[in-house]
Amino acid sequence: MSAAAAVSRRYRLTARLSQAWAYAFTGAMVLFSLFPVYWVFATSLKTKRDGLANPPLWIFDPTQANYLKLWSHDTFKFTFLNSIIVTGIGVALSLSIAIPAAYVIVRMKMRGRRFFGAWLILAYMLPEFLFVLPMFSLYQWTGLYDTHAGLALMYQVHVLPLSIWLLSSFFGEIDFAIDEAARMEGATHWQILTKIYVPCSLPGVAATAILNAIWIWNELAIAIGLTFSRAQTVTLGVTSFRGYAALDWGAMTAASIIAIVPMLLFAVVAQKHIVKGLTLGAVKG
Amino acid sequence: MTYEIKSIGSSAFWFILPCLFVLALTSLYPIAFGFAVSLTNWNWGVQLDFVGLANYVGLLGDSEFWTVIKNTVVFAAAATSIEIALGFYLAVQVDKLSIPTDLIRAVIMLPLMISGIVVALMSKVMFDPFLGVVNYLIGAFGFGPSAFYGAALTAMPSIIAVDVWWQTSFVFIIMLAALRGLPKDPIEAALVEGASNFTIFWRIKLPMLRSLLITVVVIRAIDTLKVFDIVFGTTGGGPGLATEVAQTFVYRTAYSYQQIGKAMATMILFSLLILAISLALQGLRQRWEADK
Repeated sequence: MSAAAAVSRRYRLTARLSQAWAYAFTGAMVLFSLFPVYWVFATSLKTKRDGLANPPLWIFDPTQANYLKLWSHDTFKFTFLNSIIVTGIGVALSLSIAIPAAYVIVRMKMRGRRFFGAWLILAYMLPEFLFVLPMFSLYQWTGLYDTHAGLALMYQVHVLPLSIWLLSSFFGEIDFAIDEAARMEGATHWQILTKIYVPCSLPGVAATAILNAIWIWNELAIAIGLTFSRAQTVTLGVTSFRGYAALDWGAMTAASIIAIVPMLLFAVVAQKHIVKGLTLGAVKG
Repeated sequence: MTYEIKSIGSSAFWFILPCLFVLALTSLYPIAFGFAVSLTNWNWGVQLDFVGLANYVGLLGDSEFWTVIKNTVVFAAAATSIEIALGFYLAVQVDKLSIPTDLIRAVIMLPLMISGIVVALMSKVMFDPFLGVVNYLIGAFGFGPSAFYGAALTAMPSIIAVDVWWQTSFVFIIMLAALRGLPKDPIEAALVEGASNFTIFWRIKLPMLRSLLITVVVIRAIDTLKVFDIVFGTTGGGPGLATEVAQTFVYRTAYSYQQIGKAMATMILFSLLILAISLALQGLRQRWEADK
């Protein structure tokens, strides 16, 4: 056997070992990611006695009782509905503000561009309660406290910077010659934006909307600071089950599962958009 | 690539005005008003006197404040470094697989879609000291049982573990996309030259990814410094002060003790800390880029 063949054989062996390890490690991480979700889902299908069994039960008789109980839990249903409304308003608001702003940033000369960029980063990175506590008193005075609109407005401090970064990078991919031509034909900026930019980067707009929706749906600190009862979101609805930790895992786990189902559906349907949005967000941000 | 300013001046203004207005209302106003409040002893009610820097001086001389800052930094440093190492390593492994990985990525991404408060409650079920499945599982390997959130020594590591479960896939997704986007030519050339995978990773891939990696570190560091949900939902800062972090401390100071002046002073000091840390990391990146 020639030396070269021996080397190539050893090389093939290490390559195969490294492949095997890659599969094993990935498999372990898939289990690590999945197991808690599986376990909590399983717990939500257990009767109270099965849920608190010691040692934990792996095989049990599933019951829908916890979900039926949750269905008659009016406060929780109400918070779920509130989250749908607040997420809807928040996403609509963020897109209608960020789309024209991103267009300006990509295609127009603007004074104070660097200052604006630094402002976006600051708004995005500073802690929630720095903004929430002063807004609490402003909202009390103006009647925005505990309203869907007030909450959706406050969420803009986080979703606007992200939306502008994402949208301006999607808009930047559009060939400048196209809108140059449109401008020659006498199109206004509004027409160029709505007839060319938005339709051409619809997947990017969708990715932005989805990331904003996920962020708003999952947010707790701002919601806890600016709502009390009427506009409480589902994260607060789930929080109200915190005290059940030692008593009734069924209700707590069922509420958790219901609260995350919309986002899990998103993840399945729009994985590509989410990945693209997260990746671009990191590169731009 | 830009229009002449005179032809677009006014429409540019109208296009960006709503954005400036909303950002000013939701960020500049609170910072200005909050700073003013931090110079008072306001209690949300009638008590409102100017106290100068008394809140700041009081905080800086208060051992509780320093414990909170220490906890926050320990949490952020530990969670960020584990997430970066684990997420990047996982991305390298998944990048090697020769099967379609969309489904794998979707499953690993699952925790990232879940809200922090739900993650917190899930972990309370899993980490229950008496009936939890985690104690059962580590018991099978001869460890534990651990009190997890119930003891000062284990509470912080438990919360760090929860954040690692929750956020590692963020690092994974970005680094996987970056690894796949690397130019093929230099890697193939090195393979032809007989370079090992190990060498290719350290000498070719890592230098090209270093700048992005720092960005991901900055994002994770800021996010973990701001931690609120998973502490609020699990230990609430306890036992004692073992897991009290900046934002849960401020929440308690403002809403339970009605010391809004002190709470705002804490937030201002903490914001300065976040700024300093991210500027330091940014400076590190610039130095590295200058080295190249």
